[in-house]
Amino acid sequence: MPRRRTGSTDRPAASDWERWGIDPTWHRRVEITTDAGTVGWSVLDTGPGPAGTIVCVHGNPTWGYLWRDLLRASTAGWRVVAVDQTGMGWSDRPGPRTLAQRVAELVAFCEAEVPGPLVLAAHDWGGPVAIGAAGSLDVRAVVLTNTAVAKPGSVGVPPLIAVARSAIDLTCARTPLFVRGTARMTDVRHREALNAPYRSAARRAAVADFVADIPVVPGDRSFAALERSAANFGALDSRGIPVLLLWGGRDPVFHDRFLADLLDRAPHADVHRFVDAGHLVALDEPIGNIIIDWLDDRLGRGSTTEIASDRSELEDPTSSDASTMSDATDDSFSPITTALAERADDPSCAYQGPDGARSWSALDTAAGRIAHRLVSAGVKPGDRIAMLVPPGVAMLEAVYGAWRAGAAVVIADSALGAAGLRSAFRGATPAWMIGTPRTLLAARALRLAPGARAFSMGRTPGAIDLSAPAAHSTLLPELAPQDLAAVVHTSGATGAAKPVRYTHAALAAQRDVVRRAFTPDPTHGFISSFAPFILLGPALGVPCVLPEGDVLAPAELDFDRFADACRSSDSDIAWLSPASARTIVRTANGRSVSLRLVMLAGAPIPTELAEALQRITGAEVRAPYGMTEAMPVTDGVGATVRVPVGTDTGRPLPGAEILIVPFRSPGADPVADGIWGEILVSCPWMRAGYDRRWSIEESSTIHRDGRILHRTGDVGMFDTLGHLIQLGRLQHVITTAEGALPCAVIEQPITDQLDSEVAAVGVGPDGAQVIVIVLAAEGPLRPADHGTTAAVRAASAHPIAAVLTGELPVDIRHQSKIRRDLLAKGASTLLAGR
Amino acid sequence: MKVLVTGASSLLGRTVADLLVARGDEVTCFQRSPSGSTASDHLGDITDRAALLAAAEGHEAVIHLAALVVPRAPWSQMQAINIDGTRNARSAAERCGRFIHISSPSVAFHDDASVGEAARPPSYTGDDGYTRSKALAEQVVLAGPRVPTVVIRPHLVWGPGDTQLIGRIVDRARAGRLVLPDHGAALIDTTYADDAAAAIVAALDVCAPGSEALGRAWVVSGGEPRPLCDLVGSILLAAGVTAHPRSVPAPVAAIAGRIIGRLWPGDEPPLTHFAARQLSVAHWFDQRETRRVLGWSPEVGLDEGFRRLARWFDASR
Repeated sequence: MPRRRTGSTDRPAASDWERWGIDPTWHRRVEITTDAGTVGWSVLDTGPGPAGTIVCVHGNPTWGYLWRDLLRASTAGWRVVAVDQTGMGWSDRPGPRTLAQRVAELVAFCEAEVPGPLVLAAHDWGGPVAIGAAGSLDVRAVVLTNTAVAKPGSVGVPPLIAVARSAIDLTCARTPLFVRGTARMTDVRHREALNAPYRSAARRAAVADFVADIPVVPGDRSFAALERSAANFGALDSRGIPVLLLWGGRDPVFHDRFLADLLDRAPHADVHRFVDAGHLVALDEPIGNIIIDWLDDRLGRGSTTEIASDRSELEDPTSSDASTMSDATDDSFSPITTALAERADDPSCAYQGPDGARSWSALDTAAGRIAHRLVSAGVKPGDRIAMLVPPGVAMLEAVYGAWRAGAAVVIADSALGAAGLRSAFRGATPAWMIGTPRTLLAARALRLAPGARAFSMGRTPGAIDLSAPAAHSTLLPELAPQDLAAVVHTSGATGAAKPVRYTHAALAAQRDVVRRAFTPDPTHGFISSFAPFILLGPALGVPCVLPEGDVLAPAELDFDRFADACRSSDSDIAWLSPASARTIVRTANGRSVSLRLVMLAGAPIPTELAEALQRITGAEVRAPYGMTEAMPVTDGVGATVRVPVGTDTGRPLPGAEILIVPFRSPGADPVADGIWGEILVSCPWMRAGYDRRWSIEESSTIHRDGRILHRTGDVGMFDTLGHLIQLGRLQHVITTAEGALPCAVIEQPITDQLDSEVAAVGVGPDGAQVIVIVLAAEGPLRPADHGTTAAVRAASAHPIAAVLTGELPVDIRHQSKIRRDLLAKGASTLLAGR
Repeated sequence: MKVLVTGASSLLGRTVADLLVARGDEVTCFQRSPSGSTASDHLGDITDRAALLAAAEGHEAVIHLAALVVPRAPWSQMQAINIDGTRNARSAAERCGRFIHISSPSVAFHDDASVGEAARPPSYTGDDGYTRSKALAEQVVLAGPRVPTVVIRPHLVWGPGDTQLIGRIVDRARAGRLVLPDHGAALIDTTYADDAAAAIVAALDVCAPGSEALGRAWVVSGGEPRPLCDLVGSILLAAGVTAHPRSVPAPVAAIAGRIIGRLWPGDEPPLTHFAARQLSVAHWFDQRETRRVLGWSPEVGLDEGFRRLARWFDASR
């Protein structure tokens, strides 16, 4: 494409707008008169919308184009008006404006052009402008993307701003460095439009003036105006005005600590953090539909004229969680820390593992000491603490100490890798972290949680030593059911890791259901190959055991180490991941070890594996259905029952509700037994929500008859015995022209007849996919030979387009879930040809 | 119904004529040599407008299959037969009342994979003369039709007696000269002749005012895409040929096609760039709309088709 220079004129041609994906008819000019004078503004206005009006304010140095996705989504009944601030975009360039003047101009614009209630959306330094104006306008909701209304105490001036400020004229006006640098923060296709209004030094003057106006110290010209914006923001929240924060997690300017500051000021705000988006999140992500969905949800469809009736919900940020906990009243509430305290004088073993053993009394003492140290160092109830402690003694002490101190623990699996951990911990913005000297060093090197104060389980320079006795006793807070207890990141085995919020009520309920359903014996122990499960030990008052070896490599747990751990600890229950179960079975060689109960969790369990474990241990083998968001949900009694297709996970546990609803219609009525559909679950020990993932929480939460159900993302059905049969993942359902098919339905007959591990994946567009079968074999993906292909077709009840052979990739965490998403991608590429 | 079928000496044309006769329609076949179908023949050349109009006299519909199917005949010939011949057929149809024009999915080919798509516009402008002329012919047909008109694009029609696709594959395999790009991994949809013929008859039946089918092109296929190697394997099995095709990287096949296509003296080079590309990338189609609008779905399908093919090879041995 020839290089175009639209900057030589002061307004784009119709062809420019069209190339930028903006309807040229949206563009118009408006005159604004304030004390600062009269100025012509360029605005993009989609025209009347019955649902209401959203006024969008860009930052520096962007312009109304920033809101392209929202403008284009506005067909849903909303009028979207994206203004170009004075001196910016295609508006007039009359000279510098202070923050207060910009606020006054926006108020004047809204009063003239958008009479009545409105929604404000703002980005970057448009945030303080919009929030400043909110005090004078009838604002019904606010959407902010990567912005600030104040500089958090713990953060310096954003480095890019600092650089820009130190040589304002050079970086911002005389050269296009700042403009170009900002445009480079998003996809290249937006670059031309972002740069277009700022082609000459004269047209960039306001970019420099804007940076110069950023208040840093109280003496600065706009300091008072910024403080007014900050006060306005808090007031909006306490008045019950809904706030949505759409946040790019990779913004070097307004990073996650600015998000934390906004949340401190507006604790009721909804947040959706886009892990991979940057500063220009509005251009990086499909924010338009998310904003419209959120407004429809929060304001009730089609009205900014009337505040939605159920505003009381906003008074208590956790009230929506409370309805799932209706049976947990304050009187009967016994927090997860109770059992440990009850055995405080017990010298018997509470934990045994590769890193040593601890008695109940030692564990209780350590947790108490840590709790006091945390509180005396300033940890307040509800503060988030990143847990950087390896599974074992340190984890038990640190987590129970943190809980006693009233803090919420942030947990992420090291299997996520450095980038995954960084994203997880940064996104949760913990104020504190607890680690060992080794993990704290790594955390610093990887900048896992910038701004978090460090506590160390040993001596680490710059960290508060938790191993030292508390200087003085402090008063520990009482734990309430609705207090946030943990933010646990999912394994990411089947997609991006998601942060799950758990309340103390949910953890206590989880403890109680495990106690009722699996009756662990306080005089025996339970052994776990899945390290985080040992946290249940002190909660249940039951000794927990980690076998010798690398706790992070469950697949390496062989029969010898497993049997040793069982015998030496006198355990009668084993809680195994599928990977370790397979290794134990493979290495048993006819030997056995006696147990009462073996629990399998983490992935659907093949019947053969459950049967083999039963032979080896003589135990009852159970494989309950569950997930990070709700665990366990069924009793798992069907583990050794052979069913025609899928995995038998047993009956719903008492207190848990499971609904099977039509595929992709989770709001519809449940289907009959024997018919497959999506699995919805509800139980008192369920997640409270996703942390800072409004959009994910919205799409995975189903409200029905006053109950809240979790959309599991799994498909399955009930059989005639009332057992839940798991049939695989929702995203692995193959949507053919003849209908949708869970992969298990296709795979099982082929597996049975060919006695080979296979995976079925869909290739082609949704609704017109064809079925491709991949047979496990060494080497790259390639078409199978003619005989094999014919055999697979003969075994299958459904038309098979192609039969391939190749390696079946599995997830990192459990090494047992086939990554059908990757497989489908590979198969699509191969079969598309080149 | 009285129906004129042009180009009935081809596998598909003959099958259409037979199917219409079998269900009781009165069918006249118009082409230069006897069709071998059960219908009566009216011999003539599609480029002879007067002859065609005379043959169409008294018919209620024209199904136009006649075409010159070689990659590289002189353009004047392509123009005369495939484009002007189609104009003649359209004129004849305008006197009859219904027009079914048979096109090809390749008129929308753009050197990239078609994965589960619906019909795209007939915008091919590449080197392949046949495809270019068929694209222009389709544009002629769909430019303001005066009578109810439906365009059908059957995809890779094959069946017993087919000399085009099956014949060439078997001959080359027997000679040890069958080469597939990238092991023949590309997913390709085909249509068994009887199923394609049934789709054309279904199009004839819905070709009346008010139908959604009118004025549009519909890709018709068996809806059972399979990797090329899989299809070739099934054909060779049916033919009793044991030779295995060799493989060349797809880019090599494309270059070879380009060179051979340029240097080969005759009308039918053994490989062209177009053919190499067609065999290197997937082409299969979303058939849901086609099937709904035509009220048709394939009844024979691939596996039964291959059994019939095997019986035919056995019988003709």
